Amino acid sequence: MNRETLEMLLIDYIDGKLAPEEKLQVEQELLNNKEAYILYEQLKEVIHTMERSAKLEPTEKLKSSFDKLLEQEIRSSKKNKVIFFQPAFYRVAAAVALVVLGGGIGYWISKYQQQQQELADIRKEVQATKNMMMTMLDNHQSASQRVLGATVALKMDRPDDEIIHALANAMNEDSNTNVRLAALDALSKFNKEQNVRKLLIASLTTQKDPIVQIALIRILVEIRAQGAVKELQRITNDEETLKEVKDEAHAGILKLS
Amino acid sequence: MKKVFATVALVVFITGFIQAQEYKLAKSTGRLEIKEVNHVEIEGYAGNEIIFTSRNGKKDDDERAKGLRAISSMGLEDNTGIGLSVVEKGGVIEVQQLKKMDGPDVIIKVPKGVVISFSHTSPYGDRVTFKNFEGEIEVSTVHNGVVLNNTTGPMTIKTVHGDIDASLSPNIKNPVSIISVHGHVDVAFPTTLKANLKLGTVYGEIFVDPDFKIEIEKANNMVKYSDNVSGKINGGGLDIYLSSTHNNVYLRKK
Repeated sequence: MNRETLEMLLIDYIDGKLAPEEKLQVEQELLNNKEAYILYEQLKEVIHTMERSAKLEPTEKLKSSFDKLLEQEIRSSKKNKVIFFQPAFYRVAAAVALVVLGGGIGYWISKYQQQQQELADIRKEVQATKNMMMTMLDNHQSASQRVLGATVALKMDRPDDEIIHALANAMNEDSNTNVRLAALDALSKFNKEQNVRKLLIASLTTQKDPIVQIALIRILVEIRAQGAVKELQRITNDEETLKEVKDEAHAGILKLS
Repeated sequence: MKKVFATVALVVFITGFIQAQEYKLAKSTGRLEIKEVNHVEIEGYAGNEIIFTSRNGKKDDDERAKGLRAISSMGLEDNTGIGLSVVEKGGVIEVQQLKKMDGPDVIIKVPKGVVISFSHTSPYGDRVTFKNFEGEIEVSTVHNGVVLNNTTGPMTIKTVHGDIDASLSPNIKNPVSIISVHGHVDVAFPTTLKANLKLGTVYGEIFVDPDFKIEIEKANNMVKYSDNVSGKINGGGLDIYLSSTHNNVYLRKK
């Protein structure tokens, strides 16, 4: 009996899988052959070790906790599915909400941009009107253009300081009476503004053009500028002033006080 | 005898007319400033020269003045031969007369691209007349009246003591501002004109042809009555301001 068949038989013998005649044969061999016996002892040792290690299963506790963990994991993953994907209704609602939100934001942004654009356009337009007005008021070649510049201001709703300053300048300094009157007219439209009232009253001091002086006094009376009385009194006593202007100033004082 | 007299008169008249002197300035743009010239009539025409013509005829030759030149205290020099000093400085043509009183009676023909500025302060002048001029006019006088005949504007006219009589061309250009302190302001233009009208007086009255339909301007739905009438005719358009402080304002249809 060669060694390999012997080994096979011995392993089966140890495992107790041999038929009775084979078992007898192997036992005989073990008795007669010392080497076979040693081999048998070695194999037995190996198989026993293997069997022992096969029995090294996880402890009951470990197993149960693992199972629990597994169960938990399964359950929790099942739960996720429920929330996010299960009812089609939620999905549709979410999609619709997203579309609406996206559309809304888009609309809002475009609306905002449009508003900004409109605002910028309006600002540009106002600026253009203002620039046009300023250049007109500054046109030394043509008094008509300066008159037109002042009339442009008359059509504005709210003047800024620069415009008021330019108008006041035209009212006090322009060489042409028609321009001065047009500027005075434009300024008096904004008489609700405190600084405009101040400018009008201050102009009484410097104004030398009798036509403008008279118009100015009449406007100050009309807007009930009490602060002008002192200056009007000075005018009535000023020897250089024309009689007509003095008369107007007199009348103005009576009406104001 | 009568015939001979008439012929002589005619000859004298014609020679006088021929002798009327002219001064030309090749200029169709820029600004013509006429200062303190007492007798002036300005006429618009389609040319490219400013033509000054004196109606006084040729000055009598003064034997004593031979070899001398006329100067004035203002440093003016008669460079036209008709008693006017015409000086051009950077696009501005300044016209002045040498004599303080009286002075030449001039007609100035002006191309329409030129801006005319007329200013006068002394009491020695006549009414200044503008005829058929299609360009910008600025007038500022103290004593002189102003006559505007078929002018388009834009115009800013101001006088203290003078009367203003204006019959405007149908194609008026913005703006029209006509003011007098003691004189009347009498303006005529077509009723079809679209304008923002402002008529003002303090001690006088305002008269308007009933064919002008003025929509009186409202503030907060209230019509404001004051010395000034502000309103639109035919929906508004040109800015027209007419005012006389101590006299009447008349607006007629043309």
